[in-house]
Amino acid sequence: MPDLHLPDTPKIPLARYLKQAKDDTKAQASVVAPDSVKVSTDSTMAMTEASSLDTWLQTAPQSQTEITIPENYNDSTPIKIVGPKTTGGNVLIHVGANAHVALQERWASSGDMLGVSVELDADEGAQIDWLSYDAFDADMVILQRYARLGKDVHLNWTVAGFSHNSGASLLTTDLNGSGAEATVNVGVLASAKQHIGYVTGITNYGEKTVGHINQRGVLVDKAHLAFNGVGHIVQGARGSDSQQENRVLMLSEAARGDANPILLIDENDVTAGHAASVSRVDAVQMYYLMSRGVPEAIAKRLVIRGFLEVGLSEIADSELRDELFKTIDETLVNADA
Amino acid sequence: MTTLKITDLHVKVKEEPEHPEILKGVNLTVSTGEIHALMGPNGNGKSTLAETIMGNPKYLVTQGDITIDGESIKDLGVDERARAGLFLGMQYPAEIAGVTNAEFIRAAINARRPEDDQISIMKFLKELDAAMDFLKMPEDMADRYLNQGFSGGEKKRNEILQMMMIKPKFGLLDEIDSGLDIDALRIVANGVNKMRSPEFGTLMITHYQRLLDYIVPDFVHVMKDGEIIETGGAELAKELEKTGYEHLKAGDANA
Repeated sequence: MPDLHLPDTPKIPLARYLKQAKDDTKAQASVVAPDSVKVSTDSTMAMTEASSLDTWLQTAPQSQTEITIPENYNDSTPIKIVGPKTTGGNVLIHVGANAHVALQERWASSGDMLGVSVELDADEGAQIDWLSYDAFDADMVILQRYARLGKDVHLNWTVAGFSHNSGASLLTTDLNGSGAEATVNVGVLASAKQHIGYVTGITNYGEKTVGHINQRGVLVDKAHLAFNGVGHIVQGARGSDSQQENRVLMLSEAARGDANPILLIDENDVTAGHAASVSRVDAVQMYYLMSRGVPEAIAKRLVIRGFLEVGLSEIADSELRDELFKTIDETLVNADA
Repeated sequence: MTTLKITDLHVKVKEEPEHPEILKGVNLTVSTGEIHALMGPNGNGKSTLAETIMGNPKYLVTQGDITIDGESIKDLGVDERARAGLFLGMQYPAEIAGVTNAEFIRAAINARRPEDDQISIMKFLKELDAAMDFLKMPEDMADRYLNQGFSGGEKKRNEILQMMMIKPKFGLLDEIDSGLDIDALRIVANGVNKMRSPEFGTLMITHYQRLLDYIVPDFVHVMKDGEIIETGGAELAKELEKTGYEHLKAGDANA
């Protein structure tokens, strides 16, 4: 076994988290998909093992689910993946060339210490809408999602982080093929004593690749959220673009937010940019809304919804949107009390 | 008829209590059915007056009162004042991403209605379409985020749109004409004139006679150094256009 390093996770004590033992229950994720999609469980699937984190995530007992979407698949009805109720798991998704697919993952697992690993690889020309809805009810979750995109693959990915756990979420995208494009939108609502960190990274390997990161987090109570955005353009990825925006809104005195944009640029012929902010509700916006007669509580809700909307705007599923907004409203009401 | 009455109003900036007062005893009565214009040199308290009436938390009333039909609104929050019938068309409207114009206006209308009698979406959209049409606003402005990326002129038009939809008793309009081209000015003025009725009163802050050619005021007031130093009819504005404010001194005769 080679000496494996941990990924770099500023402000997130990953090594300390990984010292804890994972829950030892085992259960399968469930998948709803048309017949043309191949689903196998506990196959000896080959997942990446490049870091100690990968090793930790893959160590048994861990359920394995492998989903293969054939070439030229074309169906806008989302393939639904629901995580096991009381444990984490590993999911491997292959998307064939020129497939047009929508994926909807939903995790509401409970437990003490869960490991979740989802890997997606996409072949040339695939177009993917990917929604990851995290509503974990566990104490601690270490989660890694890893996307590798071939030539001209377009990925439109939204991660809704509405969980109650502490821990870390690593969202990594490699733009391997030329012309690959990824937009990763992350909307997070954190409350109570949650202590959670996101490392959302996109690496441009191929020429003329485009990676955009948009992270929005709202904090209430004593929650602590760290957003790390990592845009990396490697040498040779000419004509590539890396943009990111990380914004945290704190609604209580005791909440703490970090937004760390990191740009690593090893090529000259590229465009890149970043923006970051950690702020409280804007008094000028509140005054404007309230000057039209909207009561404070509703005005606050509008500002917060609006703030998160930028991270969640790509969610087309109206039922899910309603559910998310309901969760936002409930969390705010409880936080005010 | 409803009456907005400002009596001996003294105001400071809350965070600068050691600084002198901005308003030093303003007296003004605006009744529904009347159009008042408030003019005067820059930096003499006109916007402060409008913002204080609306309840901007930035300002502190140190003396005097603001009443609607005899009831003091001085201790009401800004949203309560709005529901009591006040509307402030702001000089610099805030931009709010993620909240659409239509969604916001509907929330503002519903805030005035009981929980079990909220405006129906059909009725709302019909009224909104008509008002936007009147103000020659492109349809997509209903679905755009509130003031986000709006041009200066679009923002002003959007303030008038909100006023037309909310139908307040009093419209306080702070330089609603600044930054508008002639066509836009005419459209915005049409909007205000359309609201003119025995149930609606206006206090318009402006620097230019031009606006008053389109919205003819019943009263013109001149504010200087935190006080209203002169009051007259529409002809006063025309006179000031020729003479300027220089010759008027604070504390002088009050017509």
